Amino acid sequence: MSETPTPRTANLGGLLTGRVAIVTGAGQGVGQGIAEALADAGAAVVIAARRVETGEPVAEGIRERGGDAMCVRCDVGIGADVDDAVAATIERYGRLDVMVHNAVSPPGPPLPIQEIDDDTIAAQIATSTAASFHCARAAFPHLAADDGTLILLTSPAGIEGSGHLPLYGCVKGAQRGLLKSLAREWGPAGVRVNAIAPVAWTPAMDVATAANPTLEARLRGRTPLQRIGEPAADIGPVAVFLASPMARHMTGQTLAVDGGRYLGL
Amino acid sequence: MARRTALIVGAGDPATSVAAGLIALGWTVHHLDDDALAWTDTTVADEVGDEPIDLVIHARYPAASRHRAELTTLSADDWHAAADEPLEAAIRLARGAHGPLAATSGTLVFLVPLMASAGGEGFAPFATAAEGARLLAKSLAKTWGGDGIRAHALTLDPAAFLDPADAAGMAEANALHDPPLGRVPDLHDDVAPIIDALTRGETAALTGASLVVDGGLWMPG
Repeated sequence: MSETPTPRTANLGGLLTGRVAIVTGAGQGVGQGIAEALADAGAAVVIAARRVETGEPVAEGIRERGGDAMCVRCDVGIGADVDDAVAATIERYGRLDVMVHNAVSPPGPPLPIQEIDDDTIAAQIATSTAASFHCARAAFPHLAADDGTLILLTSPAGIEGSGHLPLYGCVKGAQRGLLKSLAREWGPAGVRVNAIAPVAWTPAMDVATAANPTLEARLRGRTPLQRIGEPAADIGPVAVFLASPMARHMTGQTLAVDGGRYLGL
Repeated sequence: MARRTALIVGAGDPATSVAAGLIALGWTVHHLDDDALAWTDTTVADEVGDEPIDLVIHARYPAASRHRAELTTLSADDWHAAADEPLEAAIRLARGAHGPLAATSGTLVFLVPLMASAGGEGFAPFATAAEGARLLAKSLAKTWGGDGIRAHALTLDPAAFLDPADAAGMAEANALHDPPLGRVPDLHDDVAPIIDALTRGETAALTGASLVVDGGLWMPG
């Protein structure tokens, strides 16, 4: 296989014109890529970031390309922060159509479960299951107003488990139990709930590959498409698809966007 | 086979009936049935002392998890009690179980309801905690295989966890047919023997399995 292909951004123009999205953890990595793709598709995007100093440049970059974006400070583990982010969105744009919960606490170094401390467990739960609850509850009334959608970022580890990151696999799996239940619960209200399980270049991936020089080659070798995804070009368009009318009959699903690394049922 | 010892965690069914079923099969069973117990790393050791433990079964889902409620009606405290607290307790159980199970090359089994992997309207917190436990089993199987520990999840009919009206609703939502075997498996007579089998040498090559034990009502994959 040749070197990594140059990422090509899909032609997303107009798919989400007039729609409004919030993306948590959008100050970097996959969240940033999704936010940029949603904006490229015409959505106004609210960058919900724990640190404004990382979120605001993403919003500024979208505006410089002609898009509409603003940044709000939001710690997704705190329900009031999520409520405030949704309120700021409604105040600015008058609607919310797409809630993307992507933020996650760094999983930390590979450790067996018996060596993981209480603080790490609490942080992982706070940003995965508790934060998913906060995002879902705050967004629902607005999503239900006009066929909106909730998208959760999970992981292949949440489908097949993870020997290296067992806690991460656990909480990412827990999010899938939530999304399937909400798909059933909110379907009658016209609200779709889906998930994306990506493998992509993120700051965490940068750190992992820097610490383990063989990791990237091993990961590529176990991936049929033989490359690691680019957040904006590979993961973002899938979020656009799920947010768009093209996915109007899909709910309760998890799309593995990982170059084919996970090929389970 | 020598008499073996199990620790079962969780109040009510399915823990109670499975415990009785294992006793009928010759197991010595410690049943930790206080869901209000503050779970710590030493809880397992506190319960069993120095006694070798061959099997740990997790079925700890407090009443808050089993209570039907739409997500938008829940407060943050409700969510914590129904989803995050039981999920964290499952993780802590696993932490505490590693040492005793490594000493015996034992088995860890998580009992989860169908709505963990299939979703359940009105039971989002329960599904969240239980699906987290199911994926924890897979992750532990990968991590602990080298320690000789096997880990599995058994997906059971909702009737094993819920009151009959809610369980009937779950079954109706998930299946377009009646159970092919004509009945929902009995916890004492059907589920306990399957767990017993998962601890035996005949199944030594099996770990990380997610077995759906519902009489064929739901056939994923």
